[in-house]
Amino acid sequence: MNEVKLFLGPQHPGMHGNYSVHMYVDGDIIEKARPTPGFLHRGFEKLMERRHWMGNLALIPRICVPEPDINEFVYAQGIEMLANIEVPDKAHWIRMLVLEMARVMVHLMSLGFIGGPTGMYTATYWAIAQRDLILDLFEELCGARIYHMYIVPGGVRKDLPEGFTDRVLAMMDELEVKIPEYEELILKHPIIHARAKDNIMLPAEVVWELGVTGIGMRSATGEENDLRKVKPYAHYDKVEFEVPTATYSDALTRLNLKVREMYQSMRIIRQVIDKMPAEGPVNVPVSPGNALRWTVPEGMVYSAVESSRGEYGYFIVSDGSEMPYRIAVRGASFPQGLLGIEKYLKGHRIDDASIWMDTMGVCSPEIDR
Amino acid sequence: MSSMNNIINEIKAALAPLKMETPADKQIAAVVRPEAIHNSLSYLRQRGFTQLCIVTCIDWIKDSEFELVYILFSWTDGIHVQLRARVDRNNPVMVTATDIFPGARYYEREVTEFFGVEFTGNEDAGKPLFLEIWDDLPPLRKDFDPQAYSDSKFPMRERGNEFVSEIGGTEK
Repeated sequence: MNEVKLFLGPQHPGMHGNYSVHMYVDGDIIEKARPTPGFLHRGFEKLMERRHWMGNLALIPRICVPEPDINEFVYAQGIEMLANIEVPDKAHWIRMLVLEMARVMVHLMSLGFIGGPTGMYTATYWAIAQRDLILDLFEELCGARIYHMYIVPGGVRKDLPEGFTDRVLAMMDELEVKIPEYEELILKHPIIHARAKDNIMLPAEVVWELGVTGIGMRSATGEENDLRKVKPYAHYDKVEFEVPTATYSDALTRLNLKVREMYQSMRIIRQVIDKMPAEGPVNVPVSPGNALRWTVPEGMVYSAVESSRGEYGYFIVSDGSEMPYRIAVRGASFPQGLLGIEKYLKGHRIDDASIWMDTMGVCSPEIDR
Repeated sequence: MSSMNNIINEIKAALAPLKMETPADKQIAAVVRPEAIHNSLSYLRQRGFTQLCIVTCIDWIKDSEFELVYILFSWTDGIHVQLRARVDRNNPVMVTATDIFPGARYYEREVTEFFGVEFTGNEDAGKPLFLEIWDDLPPLRKDFDPQAYSDSKFPMRERGNEFVSEIGGTEK
């Protein structure tokens, strides 16, 4: 037997971001895998300690590239917890609208990117084109396509543009037609079935051992462990939605749950637009004076949000000054992206490694920070 | 689902923390002695706090102490717990939590790399993770100065006489 060492990444069409796995293979079976993160380590936690509370807002969306809004939200929510601020009613609804639009956007992207590791690029092209139309809406909302910096401590930056909700509803109607087409293309395709069905299992014991959250946890345990239900933030307790679950977690099930979550997000968006008040303030100042000179009361708080990959959180420490004392970031895919790869990638075939990374939701920028 | 007050009283009775507070709605913070961390974690785990969210550290350089923070979550009660303990900054050692939460392994490795806190019993002790060929203080310590580090590692280059600006002419 000859053991050969192979590198997956840091550049690979089947992976999101620069991430490397050293694989020791025998034939085409992985015998041992070692995650090698750090290609996207930019030292965010140190940088945040050297910037003002408001100045950080330009920095944090970059921690998670595909889904930046959750960063703005956990950061703002943490500061509001520390400063004991009551966010205006309308701002809560707008935040939910943004978060759910972002969830649809990132699920479309990750659903389409299954085309990378399986070689079915049609899925990628279709889904990314659709995602771009949602990005157009974000551009209209705040001027930026990817990094919005729209949710700020105390509320949101500005009220919605005139007629914005109508265009969001039109987009929902369009998605209602388009998503079944993607399901037809991706979830029923023989290539995807051959590669993803009964392959890349995630048993419930492994979920509890590693601490996996999000779709991985819900697809294996069958429990509705979603922070939006278990510990509701914003106004999630005032809307109706279901949390899709399963008890048999192969790669296809996890792809399936993404689609079902998209439908639930669309259901939430419709209710948000229905229940949102037409008038009212959308932000309040966190502390008096110039936004760059804001101070946040002393304290330590953990703020969490349900991202598309699981629980995403910031642990924020303030010493009462104009800059944060320490901020620790909990990337949602940290458990499966490091310990998961080391312990459970072995035994799979080389060509399944990137499907493993994709359907487990490994996102390297949030692991490296 | 038990109420917040019941859980606070239960934790108070079981852990006898030095300090206890509720920093936010549905969030409890308990400060214990560093020797008590291991027992506290195993108590909280069997109490239903089965999810380890993060292990991290704060550098309180003025008090010459590191504060280790373990954040746990209970999916049945929907409550986060911060378990905190301070260790001496000059000799930062803590017992590993990997026998209770296997997922703690890489969080501890990260804290070791960025703060220099040693976790006894962690099988990855001392291995680098994110930083490659690092030869300075652990970078998230407060006395590490990134500006000085980058100035010493990447010195400013002198611009020579041969430089021709885009506008034209040779610049001094």
